Amino acid sequence: MTSLTNLTAFLCLVVALLLVWRQSWPGRLRLFVWQSALLAVLTAQIALFSGRRGLFAVAGAFALIKVWGIPRALRRIAAGAPVRPVAPGRSAGIPLLVAGGLVIAAYAIVLPVSRTITLPTSDAIPLTFAMALIGLYLCVTGRDAFGQILGFLTFENGIFGVALVAAYGLPGIVEAGVFLDVLVIVLIMEGLVLRMRREHDSIAVDRLQDLRG
Amino acid sequence: MILLVLLALPPAGAALLVRARGRLAQAAHLATAALTLAAALGLAAAVGRDGQVVALDGLLRADALSAWMVVLVALVGALAALEAPHHVPPAAPRAFYPLFHLFMFTMLLAVTTDDVGLMWVAVEGTTLASVFLVNFEQTRASLEASYKYLIVCSVGIALAFVGTVFVYLTDVHQFGSAAQALRWTTLVRLAPGLPPRVIELAFVFLIVGYGTKAGLVPMHTWLPDAHSEAPAPVSALMSGVLLSVGIYAVLRFKPVVDLAAGPGFARRLLLALGLASMAVAAASLWASTNYKRMLAYSSVEHIGIVCLGIGFGGPWGIAGAVLHIANHALAKSVLFLLSGRIRAAYRSAEIPAVRGLLAAMPVAGAGFLGGMLALMGLPPFGLFVSEVMVFGAGFRGGFAAVAVAGLVFLVVAFGGLLRSLHAILYGVPPAPPAPETKAGTAALVSVVGLALLVLIGLAWPPGLAAALERIAAIVGS
Repeated sequence: MTSLTNLTAFLCLVVALLLVWRQSWPGRLRLFVWQSALLAVLTAQIALFSGRRGLFAVAGAFALIKVWGIPRALRRIAAGAPVRPVAPGRSAGIPLLVAGGLVIAAYAIVLPVSRTITLPTSDAIPLTFAMALIGLYLCVTGRDAFGQILGFLTFENGIFGVALVAAYGLPGIVEAGVFLDVLVIVLIMEGLVLRMRREHDSIAVDRLQDLRG
Repeated sequence: MILLVLLALPPAGAALLVRARGRLAQAAHLATAALTLAAALGLAAAVGRDGQVVALDGLLRADALSAWMVVLVALVGALAALEAPHHVPPAAPRAFYPLFHLFMFTMLLAVTTDDVGLMWVAVEGTTLASVFLVNFEQTRASLEASYKYLIVCSVGIALAFVGTVFVYLTDVHQFGSAAQALRWTTLVRLAPGLPPRVIELAFVFLIVGYGTKAGLVPMHTWLPDAHSEAPAPVSALMSGVLLSVGIYAVLRFKPVVDLAAGPGFARRLLLALGLASMAVAAASLWASTNYKRMLAYSSVEHIGIVCLGIGFGGPWGIAGAVLHIANHALAKSVLFLLSGRIRAAYRSAEIPAVRGLLAAMPVAGAGFLGGMLALMGLPPFGLFVSEVMVFGAGFRGGFAAVAVAGLVFLVVAFGGLLRSLHAILYGVPPAPPAPETKAGTAALVSVVGLALLVLIGLAWPPGLAAALERIAAIVGS
């Protein structure tokens, strides 16, 4: 069980790293779908091995929201934007280096946590936490609304992963509330981005600088 | 029972308001706000009598600290609701009133649930309910403000979620029972046995996350934009009580950290963030040329004072901080509500465009003057008392250097506010403002807010000292 869940968590992290590398938005969207699907699979694996039937429902809800629902909204958000960022000469070298550093940092930061937890899946805690940090990094450095939301969602996926491998998920009411919150965030974001495109004819966030002082 | 009624009223009102139109909508809106306030006072009375009120098998629980926040949220909500019809044209989109009460609901839920996971969901809900309210005027600037608000606060609050998950991991593994593991009462009971390093790590995430909601420097970047672009009643709610809901979450986790890892860790973080907030806010108060942004930066300053009070700790520090939350809520909501009137009359939120306020708008001008004097911490207003309590706790607790630094920033901020206030009150406006109309509610809001502040400043109403004592015991446990 341990090696299988570790492998799945590792694949999730690889997808997060690929997200740092890819530039075109349809490609990044597909990567996000893959990442979410892998997390749903991880949830199902843990449900199977630990015998917690409730986790199957969580896996189903997760897949429904993150693999099907949210990507549809993301597609509407990005639709009309140029497939690749126009700014030339931007290589993925330094961001990938930063992301690699974040993976190491993740191991160091969660050391006290992984020391205290003795589940068969606890080796995967740094992997999922690294995914969260990479998502945070993507969100902070995102140049347009799509990139920032994608980063935020990867961050959120990472936190979900941490809760999953370190405690087999959170209490049901909290889990449900979090799913609802994420869904509403993306829907509100879609509304704001549509207005933004009407106003600025672009979803690049560097246009947003009227408010100063 | 009273707890369930309190939490059912705002969503019920919101559901009703989705359908209502015109005068009916206004009546339903005011009735919902008034009933919510009545239920809040009822809850406070029940908590005062029994010590705590529990509902839904312990999922909802109100103790003295919750009741304090509930009364504040409902009171500021009622003041804002009273002014809201003045700022919402009848032809405007219908979403305003329902969202207003949903916003109230999420804040009330955040401070009355015993489950820190559900508290997180509710705090995130406050952002979601208020995003469209910030963007209500649908200008370019308000769109930018609401986008920043949504992204920064969602990311910030997600960091608080990491902290919540870490707390959950430790206690669910050591003590079992998943459903109860996130209950605050469970956490406080088990805290002495929790692994200190993990709890410290969790608290870093929690204070950065909830500190983003509370507007602590350096996570405050969304705050001046959102508070200045939102319509006046929403600004009043955001500045007056939403920031304090973020602080409330920190207050809930502080005893857990103190019991698990000793009192030094949380204190150092709180004092550092509090001082940084006061410093940045004091400098920004001198630089801002927009009076709504000025009020927003002043909120950052006051949240910094509250953090110092919590950091100094002891009965005086905690009681001073909690009392300061209430004082600031009253003063700031009055000022933001009046600033909406001023902006409507002068058609500008820039300080150079607003001159001669006292002569042009006698009612709003007098209220604004009173509110600003209170905000500066002058006697006889309540903020003077709570600031004395906070800084007194600092000197008494042996943190003289921090307290002196805080006082220096306080004086700098005082100067910045005084300069702007002088410019606004006197002089000749570049363009004549519209005459003051329907000033009745503005006068009522000012009188209620300022009278309560004077009451707290001069003679504490019965029960106030006992409530503060109980809250200090809860947070200090």
